[in-house]
Amino acid sequence: MAYKPKAGATLSEPNVIPMADIMLVLLIIMMITVPRLQQGTSVDMATVANPVQMKDAEKEDAVLLSITHDGTIFFRTTKIHLTDVTPQVRDALKDRLDKVVYIKADQRAKYGDVTAVVDDVRAAGDEQIGLITEKLTDPAVEVEGPKGGG
Amino acid sequence: MAIQLGGKGGAMSEPNVVPLIDVLLVLIIIFMAITPTTPVGLKAQVPQPAPPNEKPEMQTRTIVVQVARDGGLKINEQPVTWSTLGTQLVAVFKERAPGDRVAFIKGDKDVPYLYVARAIDIMSASDVEMVGLLTKKVEEGQ
Repeated sequence: MAYKPKAGATLSEPNVIPMADIMLVLLIIMMITVPRLQQGTSVDMATVANPVQMKDAEKEDAVLLSITHDGTIFFRTTKIHLTDVTPQVRDALKDRLDKVVYIKADQRAKYGDVTAVVDDVRAAGDEQIGLITEKLTDPAVEVEGPKGGG
Repeated sequence: MAIQLGGKGGAMSEPNVVPLIDVLLVLIIIFMAITPTTPVGLKAQVPQPAPPNEKPEMQTRTIVVQVARDGGLKINEQPVTWSTLGTQLVAVFKERAPGDRVAFIKGDKDVPYLYVARAIDIMSASDVEMVGLLTKKVEEGQ
């Protein structure tokens, strides 16, 4: 019993430094992920086997159009009407050297909705399109084609 | 504190690595979460209308891949399957010089975008250097 008070005295001050470390790191995670999540609108992207890296698409000033499965168009994060695509894109591309427009379309979107947007992007004077997709990780789907994997 | 240090001198000789491991584990989780977020995609082009005084050329040599509403594929009106599209395109482009390997893709307006994306994917994997999107206005020549 003579030992107990001694042990209690040492335990009274918990070591918070590791906890603080973890909290700091978590904070850094949040700081990194939050702007990424705001990049465009989240859609269920098509998965393809051989995409190329498009690092510029994650830049804050990238011209990014998102098309959801029901054909709603988002310019960066704002919802816009189809008729506003051409002026918005033209405005965004006005003083840029890399004239690439990124289109992030939902895999269930009708292709007609996508081509309508592409037509309007083309009317804004752009030639280069980057179709943002996801890397296909399941090789079995690739062999089957969209009919099996769709 | 002085009592503790004196009493547990032997225990203090081994540094406590548990917090270090905690931090490293969290760092690993960060890297696991961040790496796949680098955007990937497929490159495509939309041809701008030619200047009015220039005649459009090479009409007969243009390769157009069509995706029908039911997911059927055609290369220049000739039906192909999804598994043979790649080899067919490689065969067509074998004789062409690099820089001339251009193909267009045209999809039914009601076909899901996934089918077209998969077709573009196969095209860019089989020697097609530039994939052109054949939209309504491009076809009309506006």
